[in-house]
Amino acid sequence: MGNMKIKAKLKGDVVDVKVMAKHDMLTYDQAKKKGVDANFITHITAKANGKEVYDVSTSQFWSKDPQFKFSFKGAAAGDKVEITWTDLSGKTVTESKKIK
Amino acid sequence: MDRRKFLSLSAVAVAVLPASLSAIDFRATKPDTWTAHTVADGIKALYGDIKPEEKGVTVKAPKVASNGGAIPVTITSDISAKTVALFQDANPESAVAVFSVAEGGIVDYMMKIKMKASGKITVIVEGTDGKFYSGSQSLEVALGGCEG
Repeated sequence: MGNMKIKAKLKGDVVDVKVMAKHDMLTYDQAKKKGVDANFITHITAKANGKEVYDVSTSQFWSKDPQFKFSFKGAAAGDKVEITWTDLSGKTVTESKKIK
Repeated sequence: MDRRKFLSLSAVAVAVLPASLSAIDFRATKPDTWTAHTVADGIKALYGDIKPEEKGVTVKAPKVASNGGAIPVTITSDISAKTVALFQDANPESAVAVFSVAEGGIVDYMMKIKMKASGKITVIVEGTDGKFYSGSQSLEVALGGCEG
């Protein structure tokens, strides 16, 4: 298994996507206490069939191992949804899942 | 000469790239939004001086959150939106998320957020009509989520 748990389900013509990413999401305050650098996911995007379907700039106030949901139109069962996140350190993770 | 041509070409390519991708990194384009301490300052840094109408935006969060470390917040709206921004007034900085909505995109977002104390979540929706709309939800946080 990778970094993310992704569920993508087609309902009618809408695809509902549920994601949980593994990340500490250390805020500046938390990092100071631990004596390490703050690090958190700063940007998440999702694509389906080459089209952007989700795009969010994020702050340190998303929960640890952030969970999020979104919906979009324009994909069929069997298509892939591809999720990418980038964190403050510059690390990027991309994972994809077939739409059920 | 060839090299110069190549350089000018790549400069054009770089300039064109952000327009061809719909992804917007608001942390890069609006850095002040993320360091603003109050909701009002955050909104000002992101959108300028706006007077959003209080309608059309639904913010759902538990009235009492037992764990401030992971509060599920759902934003829904039928407004044809360009961007959606989420702020709260309990943490040292106010900005939590700024979404850019694809054309014809659905505004139905859930995410789990951290709040240090009880407070109010404010969501601003920038419509494709150029108008701004807002919605909010106050909640009590039993155990703050930013200390751990």
